[in-house]
Amino acid sequence: MSTITALGLVLMVLMILVGGKQGWTAFLSLLLNFGFLYFAIVLIAFHVPPMFVTLTTGTIILAVTIFMGEDDLKTTVTAFYASLIVMGLLLLLIVGVEHWAMVQGFGSEDSEDLEGMSLLIGISYLKVAVTTTILSTLGAIAEAAMAVSAGLTEILDAHPDIDNAQIMKSGMAIGGQIIGTTFNTLFFGFFGGFLTLFIWFAGLHYSLGTIINNKIFVGEMIMVLTSFIGVLLTVPITAWIMGLRKKSVVDSFGENK
Amino acid sequence: MQKLKVSSSFVRWLLILVVVGLGAILFTFHNESFYQRPLARVEQVRNEKAVKQTDEFKNVDWQTKQYLKIKMLNGKYRGKKLMVTNTYSYSGAMDQRYRVGNEIFLTRVHEKDGLLHATIAGYKRDTVIVFLVWLVILLLLLMMKKQGNLALLSVVVNSILFVLAIELDLKMQAAHVLLIFGTLALIFTIVSLILILGLTKRMLATLGATVCGTLIAMLISLLVFQLTQERGIYYESMQYVTQVPRPLFLAETLLGSLGAVMDESSDIVATIFELRQLDPTATKGQLFMAGRSVGKSIMGPLVNVLFLIFMADTFTSSLLYLKNGNSWGYTFSMNMCLGTVQSLISGIGIVLAIPIASGLAAILLGKKGKA
Repeated sequence: MSTITALGLVLMVLMILVGGKQGWTAFLSLLLNFGFLYFAIVLIAFHVPPMFVTLTTGTIILAVTIFMGEDDLKTTVTAFYASLIVMGLLLLLIVGVEHWAMVQGFGSEDSEDLEGMSLLIGISYLKVAVTTTILSTLGAIAEAAMAVSAGLTEILDAHPDIDNAQIMKSGMAIGGQIIGTTFNTLFFGFFGGFLTLFIWFAGLHYSLGTIINNKIFVGEMIMVLTSFIGVLLTVPITAWIMGLRKKSVVDSFGENK
Repeated sequence: MQKLKVSSSFVRWLLILVVVGLGAILFTFHNESFYQRPLARVEQVRNEKAVKQTDEFKNVDWQTKQYLKIKMLNGKYRGKKLMVTNTYSYSGAMDQRYRVGNEIFLTRVHEKDGLLHATIAGYKRDTVIVFLVWLVILLLLLMMKKQGNLALLSVVVNSILFVLAIELDLKMQAAHVLLIFGTLALIFTIVSLILILGLTKRMLATLGATVCGTLIAMLISLLVFQLTQERGIYYESMQYVTQVPRPLFLAETLLGSLGAVMDESSDIVATIFELRQLDPTATKGQLFMAGRSVGKSIMGPLVNVLFLIFMADTFTSSLLYLKNGNSWGYTFSMNMCLGTVQSLISGIGIVLAIPIASGLAAILLGKKGKA
C-alpha cells in the first residue's frame, strides 16, 4: 500500500470515529475537491479558457465545501451566496494585481527543476496564475462565511426581530472573534510551505530589496495577502446577505417548531 | 457627545492610514536610489513580429523580440540611456512583455566603445506588495479595531520569529531541523494564543489541545511512513531544497498544520467555556459532547482550507508536466504527492484536536457526574 493511501485511510477512519456521518461527508468533500482541482488542471491543459475553468471550478469547490460541511440550510445558503460574491470581488482584484505584478509561471530559482522541459506550451501562464491564486483563497472564504453565517443564524433564532444594522454589528463582532485564528491558519498554511524558499533566500544572502522584488516571493505573498483580504471582505458581505435573507431564515424557524 | 468624539478620532485614524499608505506607495515609485542594483525605466518599445514556435509535444506558442530604450535611474550611469533586448512568449512561463513606463532591474551594466550595455534581470514588483499590505491593514483596522490590531500584531511577531528560526537553522547548518522548527512551532503557538486569548485558563486548554493534536498526528504519520516504507513519496520533487529534504518536509508539514489545529482547538474550547457560563451545572460528558459537535462541523471546511492552499501551489508545474507529454499519474507523483501527504497529515491533526480539546476543556470545567 502506498503511503498516501494509508494516510488517507487513517484520516477517513478518524473522521468517521469523531464525526460519524458528518465526518464521512467531510472526508468525501476533500476527495471531491481533489477531483475537481485535478480536473481543472486537465481542462486548462486542453486549452479550455482558464477564466471559465476558474469560475466553474471555484463555484463547485465553494458548493462542495459549504454544503457538505454543514447540513443546516439556513446557514449554508447564506454562506454560499456570500462566498460567491466575495469570489467575484476577489477575482477583479486578483486579475488587476497579477497583471500589475507579472508573477506568472516560474522564477529563476526554478531553473534546475525545469531542465529539459519545454516552457513554450501555448497557454498563458498569467491567466493560470489568476486561477491558482483564486483557488487557494476559496477554502478560507468558505470557512469564514460559514462561521459568520452560523453565528448569525443562532442570533436570529434567539431574536427574530433585530434589524439589519444590528445584524451587521453582530456579524462584525463574530468576525472579530474568528479573525485572529483564521489569519493564523492562513499564515501557517502558507508560510509552512515557504520554508524551503526562505532557507534558500537566507542561505544565499538575498537582500531585502531582492526578496521583495523576487518573482516567486511576490507571487506567494499575493496569495497570502489576497486570502487575508478575501476573509476580511467575507465578514460584512455575509452579514449583509443574512440581512437580505432575514425573512426567509426567520420563517424557516417557525416551520421547524 | 460621546459618540461624536469616537467618530472624530476614528476619522482621524482613517485619514492617517490613508495618507501613510499613499505615501508608502508613492515612495516605491521613487525609491530607486535605495537600491544597490541598477534600475532603469522603459522609455520606448519596438516589437518585432511574433514568431511561431512548435515544440516536440506539438505545443504551439508565439515568441516576440522586443527592443527597449531604457533610462538608468540610479548608480553612476544615472540619467544615461541605452538599448536592451527582451524576448517574450505568449505563455510567459519565464519571460514577460515589457511596456513603456515599466521599471526593470539590470545586471552586467558595462561600457563598451562609448556605449552602455546591460542585461535585464527582472521586473520591479515592490509597489504591488506595499499596496496589498496597506489594503489588508486598512480593511483590518477599519473593520475589526482591537481584534484586528491583535491579529496583525500576531502575524508580525510570528514573521519575525520565523526569520530568526531560519537564521538559526542556517547557523546550525541544518543539523537539527526538526528540533529547531518544532520548538519554533511551540513558541508560535504560545505567542499567538496569548495574543488572541490572553494568559487565561482558556488559553492553556487551547495550547494543550493544539500541541497534543499536532504531536500525535505527526507520530501517527511517522508510524504510517514506517509501515508503508514511504512508498510513493518523492522527496526529490520538493522545490527549492538546499538541505536534506525529509526533515524539511516534516517541518513544513508541522508548521503548515499548526494554525488550523489551533483554529479548531480554540473554537471548541471557546464554545465549552461559554456553555459552562450559561449552565454552571453542566457535567463533563455534556461539555465533551458539545465540544465534539462544534468540532465536527468545522473540521471539514478547515481541512479543505489547508488542502486548497497546499494544492494550488502545485498547479503551475503540474500544467507544465501535462503539456510536456507526461501521464496524469506521473504528473501527480512529481508535483502533487507531497502536497497531498501534507493535507492528509494536517487533516489527521485537525480531527484529533476535536476529542483532545473537548476532553481537556471538559475536565478543566465540568462537574463530576455521569458521562
